[in-house]
Amino acid sequence: MREQRRKDAVWRFLTYTFVLTATVVMLVPLYWMVVAASLPQELFIEFPPRLYPGTSFFENFTALQERANFVRSIGNSVFIAVVYTVISILLCSMAGFAFAKYEFRFKEPIFYVILATLVLPIQLLVIPLFLMMSQIGWTDTFRAIILPWLANPIGIFLMRQNMQSIPDALLESARMDGATEFQLFYRIALPAMRSSVAALAIILFLFQWDLFLYPLVILEDAANYTIPVALAGLEGTQRVYYDQIMVATSLAIIPLAILFLFLQKQFVSGILAGSLKE
Amino acid sequence: MPHNTNSMYGRRRVLGGLITAGTFAAAGCIGTDDPDGNGGNGNGDGNGNGGNGDGNGNGGNGDGNGGTEMAGSIEGWGWDVAARSLQLTAEAYEEEHDASVTVEEFGRSAMKDDLQTRLASGSGAPDVAMLEMVDGHSYIDTESLADLSGHIEDADVYDDFVPGVWEALSTEDAIYALPWDIGPTAVYYRRDVYDEHGLDVDSIETWDDVLEEGQKLPDDVYMLNLPPGDLAGVWRYQFRQLGNNPFTDDGAVNIHDEDSVTIARTMKELYDADIASMLEGWSSAWFGAYESGEIASLPSAAWMEGTLRAELPDTAGDWGVYKIPAFESGGPRASNWGGSSLMIPAQIEEPERNRGWDYIQWSLATEEMQMLMFDEFGLFPALETTYDNEAFDEELDFFGGQAARRLFADVAQEIPDYRFSVDTPEVSDAINTEFERMLRDDIDPEEAVMAAAETVADRTDRELA
Repeated sequence: MREQRRKDAVWRFLTYTFVLTATVVMLVPLYWMVVAASLPQELFIEFPPRLYPGTSFFENFTALQERANFVRSIGNSVFIAVVYTVISILLCSMAGFAFAKYEFRFKEPIFYVILATLVLPIQLLVIPLFLMMSQIGWTDTFRAIILPWLANPIGIFLMRQNMQSIPDALLESARMDGATEFQLFYRIALPAMRSSVAALAIILFLFQWDLFLYPLVILEDAANYTIPVALAGLEGTQRVYYDQIMVATSLAIIPLAILFLFLQKQFVSGILAGSLKE
Repeated sequence: MPHNTNSMYGRRRVLGGLITAGTFAAAGCIGTDDPDGNGGNGNGDGNGNGGNGDGNGNGGNGDGNGGTEMAGSIEGWGWDVAARSLQLTAEAYEEEHDASVTVEEFGRSAMKDDLQTRLASGSGAPDVAMLEMVDGHSYIDTESLADLSGHIEDADVYDDFVPGVWEALSTEDAIYALPWDIGPTAVYYRRDVYDEHGLDVDSIETWDDVLEEGQKLPDDVYMLNLPPGDLAGVWRYQFRQLGNNPFTDDGAVNIHDEDSVTIARTMKELYDADIASMLEGWSSAWFGAYESGEIASLPSAAWMEGTLRAELPDTAGDWGVYKIPAFESGGPRASNWGGSSLMIPAQIEEPERNRGWDYIQWSLATEEMQMLMFDEFGLFPALETTYDNEAFDEELDFFGGQAARRLFADVAQEIPDYRFSVDTPEVSDAINTEFERMLRDDIDPEEAVMAAAETVADRTDRELA
């Protein structure tokens, strides 16, 4: 008994040490980013580096704003990512529902074709997509950035896997009660999928948030730039304004942090969902 | 198909054309002193391109002999100070010509990604864009750049530029860009540190002299730095200094010849003599070491002056420059590091191409504009005719009263040809890897260059020379 408790304590100690170390390793770069954002350029290149914050955050921020209206870029990114996430969740879960709960011809082949598109790297798609968008006159628009990725194979896959756990009997009895097919999806399937939807929301949001090459090519007016595109614009050849870049990256993670805080609980359970098979 | 420009673009050009035309109309439509006699073109081109954008494939030629016709507005792309330099010349250009030049500023790699996509897709590229000399042949090989040799011949400007720059921008029968700035090499050194320890700059002619003088420094002060991430950069400027090329005329790998061994051996000697530090270039530690004088000399190029001024303002007045050391007494002491040019994509229509060339010629082939960019942003002119300018003889306080720019101008005229290729990155990769192994004592210099050559031959499917 006592032996067991001691063993547990040792285990716990090791676990906490490990987790703590990992946390520190993860947080130090973030901490340095915030510190660096608050240092004037001369102190930034100082060696050994300074580890406590300075007072130039707002000066750096003002300089950044003057060079590349970064607040606007954050707004653009949030707008694009939110619109994309909402529409894409709807489409992916509808498709996932269909693949999980309906029988139709060529269901399996279609599903595998969709899955197969996962192996196409974005770099490969950029040139054809750019040509397509420029031919229909959509360059430099947000819709050109949102549309091509709406039917997201990862999303469809994730939703199909999770939708399969909805008992057929449940849907059948709802049908008997006179529910339409859309009501089955909207009233029964979707609410049961809350945690998966939350997980998917984060995945989709991050996907769109991190897109770089494609928006870089599509967007022309600096006022339309998303965060990654604007960030890339801050890099020069000789003189790189690291202070401004650090301010920009510090600001850029705020929306993500908020999103994750909100969806944290569901995210973890959503990722685990579907891993258990009855 | 190049003429299938999308309608957005067409529309934008029409707008640009209309705006230009509008301003022009407001100005009264008279008294144009445009030497090219292009007064009316703001109108004509705007409309011509409108037709084009709507899918009329022949629009460009529809206006008849496109030979001299010029668009009313063009767009140019560049990054960093280069973009800001273009803005300067664009303003001056607009004052003298009835055309508008819009300059877009990008981040460096962002622009390369964007530009390459647009070049590859055959639409949406800017009318004029900056091209680094090191990238010259990678772009030329994609056949997406316009041949400018006709324009260059008509304007008769070929001989106005330093001879060593053309190789990177041309093939046997075409020239794809006009040289802009270059990076004549020199060793920057801290006068105060040299003086303090009794080093004699005037006695340095060869690397052997550097070794000898370097011994006078105490243990905690280094003669120079060998950046571990960019040993290939060091190798390249020295290989070029010796008049060599990484590939022979018929494409065989040639990075393992006697010259390359000499370079490797010299590098190794410097390192083994404990007078070379190994700090990552441009890192905080690296800047710090030059600020404190812990490293006394910095082999680099003309553009480094701007960086030092901006990053290490406290060291102003302590710097001097001398030509890069030769490998043997009497050997060549000139090379180049960096540099760029302006090009026009092949997909650009005739009127825009003509306007683009006119603007390029104005910006790069006139002494006035080159000197303006040199003064404002430190872009060292590739235009040789500028070197007579007295600005080069100015004794600069930053260099303790030395006329450093004269030295760079002297070096510039002796830069040997060098051919970059699509496989330049492979060469850099291999040299970096093997030279690092060499400095760590794993292999000797002969083995290092041989291993690098074999790697490159293997990866690029070429023969060894």
